[in-house]
Parts: sequence; C-alpha cells; structure tokens
Amino acid sequence: MSAALWSRTNAGSFRVAMLAMAGVGLLVAALPVLVIVIMSFSGDAGLEFPPRSLSLRWYSSAFDVLRGEGSDSTVSAFEAMTTSFMVGAVTMIASVLACVPLAYALVRSTGRWRHGVQLLFTLPLVFPLVVLGVAYLLLAETLAQRTGVELGLWRLAIPHIALALPFVLRNCLSAMQGVGRDLEEAAMSLGASPLRAAVDVVVPLMKPGILAGLIFAFIISFNEFTVSFFMYTIDVRTLPIWMYSRTVSSLDPTTLAISTLIIGLDVALIAWVDKLVAGKGRLF
Amino acid sequence: MSAQTPHLEIRGLTKRFGAVDALADIDLGIARGEFVCLLGPSGCGKTTLLRIIAGFEKADRGHLLLEGKDITELPPHQRGFGMVFQSLALFPHMTVAENIGYGMKLRGTAAAQRRRRVEELLEVVQLPAIADRPVAALSGGQRQRVAIARALAVPPQLFLLDEPLSALDAQLRDSMQIELRQLQQRFGVTTVVVTHDQTEAMMLADRLVVMKQGRLQQCDTPTEVYRRPANAFVAEFLGAANLLPGVVQADGAVNVLGAHVGASSRLAAGSAVTLAVRAEDVRLQAVGAASAPHVVGDIEFVRDLGPLAELIVRCGDERLRCRSADAPLREARVGQKVAVHFDAQRCSVFPAAHA
Repeated sequence: MSAALWSRTNAGSFRVAMLAMAGVGLLVAALPVLVIVIMSFSGDAGLEFPPRSLSLRWYSSAFDVLRGEGSDSTVSAFEAMTTSFMVGAVTMIASVLACVPLAYALVRSTGRWRHGVQLLFTLPLVFPLVVLGVAYLLLAETLAQRTGVELGLWRLAIPHIALALPFVLRNCLSAMQGVGRDLEEAAMSLGASPLRAAVDVVVPLMKPGILAGLIFAFIISFNEFTVSFFMYTIDVRTLPIWMYSRTVSSLDPTTLAISTLIIGLDVALIAWVDKLVAGKGRLF
Repeated sequence: MSAQTPHLEIRGLTKRFGAVDALADIDLGIARGEFVCLLGPSGCGKTTLLRIIAGFEKADRGHLLLEGKDITELPPHQRGFGMVFQSLALFPHMTVAENIGYGMKLRGTAAAQRRRRVEELLEVVQLPAIADRPVAALSGGQRQRVAIARALAVPPQLFLLDEPLSALDAQLRDSMQIELRQLQQRFGVTTVVVTHDQTEAMMLADRLVVMKQGRLQQCDTPTEVYRRPANAFVAEFLGAANLLPGVVQADGAVNVLGAHVGASSRLAAGSAVTLAVRAEDVRLQAVGAASAPHVVGDIEFVRDLGPLAELIVRCGDERLRCRSADAPLREARVGQKVAVHFDAQRCSVFPAAHA
C-alpha cells in the first residue's frame, strides 16, 4: 500500500531525500559538537568516549579556572577571558561605528564607487586567514620597530574588526535599505538638520540591523582563532588561544566544559540575531 | 507687505537632468493664501518644481523669493515649509502624537503644550483619541490626515503636497479632496499641490498651473483653464477633448470634417488648425432633425453610464468621443447614423501642431 502511495506522488520520496540530507548535515555539523558537550559532563579523568560516568566536576573546574582561582596557568585563563570580552567589545563598537555611516553613504549615494567600496570591505572573506595572520603580524611588528608603538589590545582588535566588517556592513546595509529618503526629507521639512534627521529617524529605524551587527561582531571576535594565533602575546591572548595551549599541553576535560559554555553563548546570541533580523524566532 | 508682492515668487527656474529639460525657465508668482495646483502628466517637471520649492533639489538657474527674500540657497530645514509626501513618510517608530509633535519638539516647545496642540490638530482632522497609537495601526485615510496634521502642526509659511491622495481608493480620495480644501481655507495657508489628476486639481485649487515637458502651458483659474485652454495639449489633458484637424475659411470660420463651424479664429484664411471640442460638448441629433451645419457619422460604440451615455462616433477618418444626457441616444444602436453638431461657443481653435 505504501509503495503505491510513494509512486503516485513524489512528495514521499522528496521527503525522504530531505530527511536524509538533513541527517547528513546534522552528522557532519552537529555531531562533533555534540560529542564535546557529552564529554564535558564526563565523570572520568581521561578523554574516553562514551564517558563511563557523568558529573559536573569539569564545570566546577572550568569555573575555578575562569574565575582565576588555582594554579598559575589558571590565572592566565581568567586574563584570557577578560581579554576576549574586551577585544569583543572593542570590535563590536568600532565596527558598528564604522558601518552605520558607511551603510548610510553607500545606500544614499548614486556614485559609481559604491559597488567598489562594498567589495573592498568584503575582501577579508576571500583572503585565507593564515595569510591575513601573517600580514597583520608583519604590520604590527614593523610598526613596533619603526615607531615603538605597541598596539596592546588593538593587536587583536584591528584584525577582528576587519573580519567582522563584512558581516556588520551587510546587516547595516539591509537595515538602511528599508529607510526611505522621504522619511529624512520629512524630518528636514519639519525643521531637522540633516544630522538631526539621521539621528532621530535613520538610526532608530536601523536599530535591529545595528543590534544584529553588534552581536555578529562580538561572536566573530570571540570565536576567532587563526589570526589571533599569529597576533597574540604573553600579555594579550584570548580564550580560544588559551584553550588551544591548554589542550596541546594537557588533554583536560576542563577545556571541553569551557567549550560547551562558549557554544551555549554563541547559540544564544545567534538565536537573538535571528529574532532581531526576522522579527520572529525561526532558528528553532 | 503690499498686496502686489507674491508670497512666493519663482523667477527663471531651470533644471536639467542630463540632456532633458526638467524645468525650462519657469516664472510663477503665488499669492498669500492661494491654493495652487501643479498639474501635468508624469515627467512634466511638476514634482521637480515642488522639490525645488521645498529645497530638496537645487535648480541649475533661477531664484525663489519668499516675501521678496531670496531663499534659493536656504536648506530645507530652515525654510519652515510643511510638506506632505506622496508616500506620506510618517515616522514608523513614533506614535501619532510623536509624529505630529516632532516639528514642535525640534523648536523646543514644552511637552504639555505640544500635547495640547497635537490634540487640537487631531480634533481638526477629525481623528480624536488616536494620539498614542503607533502609526502602523492606522488605516490609509487616517495616515493621510496624520501626515497633513504633522505638516501643519508648526504653522508653515508654505504648505506643499506631492500627490497627497494618490494612495487612497477613489471614494476616500473624493471626500479627502473636499476636506483638504476646507482645511486649507481654515488655516489660510499658501498651498502648492502636485497632481496628475485633473478632477483633483479642479476640486482643490484656486489656480491651475498646467505643465508639459518642463514648461508652463497655462496658469489660470480652473474654470478659465477648462473653458479656454491655451493650447491643444491643455484642452486634451483637461478632460478628454476631441482634437480635430481643420482649415480656416475666408470668413474666419473653420471647416472641420466638412462642417462649417463658426468658431472665431484670428488665424489667416487657409491655415491649418486643430479644433478641440469636449466629449460633452459634441451635440448629437437624429439625422433628419438636424438644422445647423453638421456632419453625419456612424455610431461605433454606445454605453449607458447612468447619468449620461458614452458614445464613439466615426466621421470619416476621425473617431469622436461623445457624452450625452439625451434619452434617445441611450437607445441608439451601433451602426446607426447620427448628425454631429459642433457648437462654436464651446470649441477652441489652435494653430495645428507642426508634425
């Protein structure tokens, strides 16, 4: 009976194909992460899968490490997390401050250069991250040698901003596209200067795009590893760098607990972006 | 201020977009309290002219004088003109009260006073008790009124409207036209409205400014423009006129389709002319009953529209559009012969366009 039904309508086989593809996608994309999440709840000292017992001991260890309690190496974990949050905050603010006026100019201009500028800002997406890492490292070192200027936090923030810009710009552009020129003109006809019109009318209407841009910038900065690996110093290192060194030196489920926490943060932020952009929660 | 000085004077305004003359040397004076309507087909430059008055576009040449003061270079936010946009351009992130009060807020009016004025204006546009609604919750007609109230909240020097009623359905547009006219009279504000709708223009304006390809065709009262169009374009644009080729006779009358029409023409005998006659001014009679000079045509189309009948009559190569309230014509059949009679008083004669 079911065979007859299948052959009559292709809808059934289409559904099977969709489910199969979704299954493959899930396997490839989600399974490794799922393993990490499961392992982080392990009660064992080693990294065996599946864990023989479950516990929250690695979470308690992770919180100790992140709070800066314990041995010397754990102090740097606290610092790494602080650095990650600070670099993330700087990346967020700087890239949005750059992209809001840029998106305004790009959408309002009719010039031929607008397409070129848009392309220029998406370039970091095309370059291999390793190449970018080498390039930024060379630049930072040259700057330090020639002028003695140490970039500090900006060593990481500058490349992170470059990597975040395409995403932030895209969000700001699509937000800006929805703001008609007539709204600004209406504000001006009521007595607002062009700047006042932009602040009172354009920016509030771009708000969902701006917020989505802020969140994207933070996620990109917080998760960034490759370029950061070239740029980090003893004083300035982010959480992913710390986790990498820890994993290389000692395979410790504490890192897995931290990973799970980061995944949770990322998922929450992405869900928020999705809600902002679509106006409705569609991710789940 | 003397009565002779126009409230707004437009002098030699010229604007080009590429190779196209959007506006060619426009001169126009608008009196205080006058309601002027810029009328023309799309692309005639009427919106460009309004946007130059508002300050959103810059003219290539020419001047704008407000009460004799040159405001050509004044940015839009310093002009103090209220404007209603085609899209209405209500601020979607603000409530009705915030929209209407925005101009007052910019001028530093206290919140309580602002609120009173908003309530007062909403009363005037017959929308009490919607002050705190978001703009998105309003119907088309309500938005329209809010946009008007916003533009008038800080009494403007000039009230500018760009196709303000085009988004409304026909019935609502009709009643809004009357309301808009009454509001304008009540506020006594000098008003310029852009429209492509001839009925709307005649309903609203004290004076029509008919434009074509960036040039003024005629500026006069609606009645004058309708009765005595300045040229064939104006005649055709204002109300479905028939344009017929004719030749001026020795006695000054015009020969049209073989009929001798006594329309007075100052053109030389023998010159080719265009005779414009409106659909409702073509008189149709039964073939035998016709007395005055007439042409006989075949009825190609008849439709009874209720108050009148719409007909198309073929006379030689010309198809005449006719409208008549006569009862017998409503029963006329396609293919029937009919006598077409032109009333000289109601025909306009123009030199023929050079083809």
